Amino acid sequence: MNETVTATASDVSETDPILRTEGVTKKFGTLTAIDDVSIEIPADEITSIIGPNGAGKTTLFNLFTGKHEPTGGRIEFRGESIGGLAPHEIVDRGVVRSFQITNFFGELTALENVRIATQAHYSGFGPGDFARHHASLEEPIADAYEILERVHLEDAARTTAANLSYGQRRHLEIGIALAARPELLLMDEPTAGMSPEETHEVVDLVRAIADDVTLVLIEHDTDIVMELSDQIAVLNEGELLSWGAPAEIQADERVQRAYLGGGGRE
Amino acid sequence: MKSVVELFGRSQSSQTGDQLLSSRGRLAVLVAVGALALFAPIADAYEPFWLNMLVRMMIFALLALSLDFVFGYAGLLSFGHAAMFGAGGYAAAMLISEVTANALVVLPAAMVVGAVVAGIIGWFSVRARGIYFAMLTLAFAQLFYVMAFTDLPATILGVESFTGGDNGLYGIQRYALFGVDFTPTLVYFYLTLAAVALSFVALLRLSNSPFGRVLQGIRENEERVQFLGYDVRRYKVLGFALSGAFAGLAGGLYVPFQSVSHPGLLHWMISGELVVMLLLGGLGTLWGPMLGAALVVFLEEQLAGFASWEIVLGGIFVVVVIFAPRGLAGAIISVRDDPTNVATNAKRAIRNYIDKVRR
Repeated sequence: MNETVTATASDVSETDPILRTEGVTKKFGTLTAIDDVSIEIPADEITSIIGPNGAGKTTLFNLFTGKHEPTGGRIEFRGESIGGLAPHEIVDRGVVRSFQITNFFGELTALENVRIATQAHYSGFGPGDFARHHASLEEPIADAYEILERVHLEDAARTTAANLSYGQRRHLEIGIALAARPELLLMDEPTAGMSPEETHEVVDLVRAIADDVTLVLIEHDTDIVMELSDQIAVLNEGELLSWGAPAEIQADERVQRAYLGGGGRE
Repeated sequence: MKSVVELFGRSQSSQTGDQLLSSRGRLAVLVAVGALALFAPIADAYEPFWLNMLVRMMIFALLALSLDFVFGYAGLLSFGHAAMFGAGGYAAAMLISEVTANALVVLPAAMVVGAVVAGIIGWFSVRARGIYFAMLTLAFAQLFYVMAFTDLPATILGVESFTGGDNGLYGIQRYALFGVDFTPTLVYFYLTLAAVALSFVALLRLSNSPFGRVLQGIRENEERVQFLGYDVRRYKVLGFALSGAFAGLAGGLYVPFQSVSHPGLLHWMISGELVVMLLLGGLGTLWGPMLGAALVVFLEEQLAGFASWEIVLGGIFVVVVIFAPRGLAGAIISVRDDPTNVATNAKRAIRNYIDKVRR
């Protein structure tokens, strides 16, 4: 089944894939969370991963970003194997994720949250990194302001993250991920739990980001998925069920049965 | 998963914003150092016992400071800081009796030894998190304790005595530097005061450095820091080693002062007492734990004649944890922010506690 699915994928995109998996598998004890998934994520496009709850979408992200080590198979980023590398090594190569549950430093300001991320590109373990005051590093702060502007939080720079509105938090979450300078950004449900208006803002933001970053989204909202995606991968019970352009996925009967038609969204 | 620091009540370091110590705080530190410097000759003239106690208070304040840097600030609960304290102490004892009593040689050496021991313990322990990390540090520290107690290094090196076994190394003289003899307690007091004050400034600076900010990020949200591209383990090991350097310095000051280095310095009781000092003082403020240490040494000293002084300490500990969960530092901060509301706050704390018990 996987062979046919991969063949469809190569029809969709002519560019070289930025991320490629080959028979990737992840088992937790006796549970197979990801079962022999082979997928190619084309560069400079938006790919969405959809599927019912428990289909393995987040597990797949965890494998891409080094949180879990694959039980079998191969994961390549720009032709280099990254399966089993530590998370920070994968981030160094340009694969960054944003989190489903807003995951930041609640007691720090929005600016500080982003600055910790931008600082990674300027400081390491040199003498200055121990002796200087953190506020004297000007470039990371300038970068952080730039990113806050990109995610429309420039007015909330000095607000403690825990005091931001829900929508603002999601923007901050995306900002922190951008600060890690991704080439490939994996976004886990960027619009979860948002009002229609907030959702609209995030969709615009995602479009803007996609101009210079390859995006992979996990998204439950099928309207958003159809609107944004260049490709859609459908996961079901850890297997890659289908893979193609939005119109193909909508027409795919197996997908209809497993997901789209089967009682709608959860 | 809740972090260990959260379970013990939150640290306060980030509440003060960009600076760990405000300008008012700096003034308070200067006043404290000045008052100590002035008080010492008076104590020396009238009641040398007080001076002796002050020196020990300051040394333990330094040890508590070093632990707060990793526990309160970086969220790494070490139950093994006695190992670095003792290692620094033994290093100082051996150097003084075999090589030189020059403080500028021996004290930095004690720091290096403390950092190396902490680096070893840290490298193995940061693989675990939370309470498992704490237990690993405890186990490693006890390993060092047993090594000192049984004089294992002597057996390995094939020499007669290295750590002096359960007797330890005694008759250690105090430092000398630039022709100044530090043997009189008053002179030793000033050496200690200078070392503790410099360490405080250094650790404060380190806490506010880019490195310190990453450590703080790790305390708040380790996973997130990892996914920003930071090698979390490396930061933890380095932070732990830096903390160990200052614990080693405390040992290097303590041993010549007491003229003896013994395995008890490495015992887990000291590590445990240190955690009590931190919680009494207020995690993550750096200065709070120093006050906590001074309080514990003071009580120990004053109640030594009373057979079970630990009961008193335990009682105070319980009261502080219930009514001032952020320790002495938290209480001082809340009084500073709103001096008029002390009674209301106390009532509210008692009511909250009673509500908690009822539930």
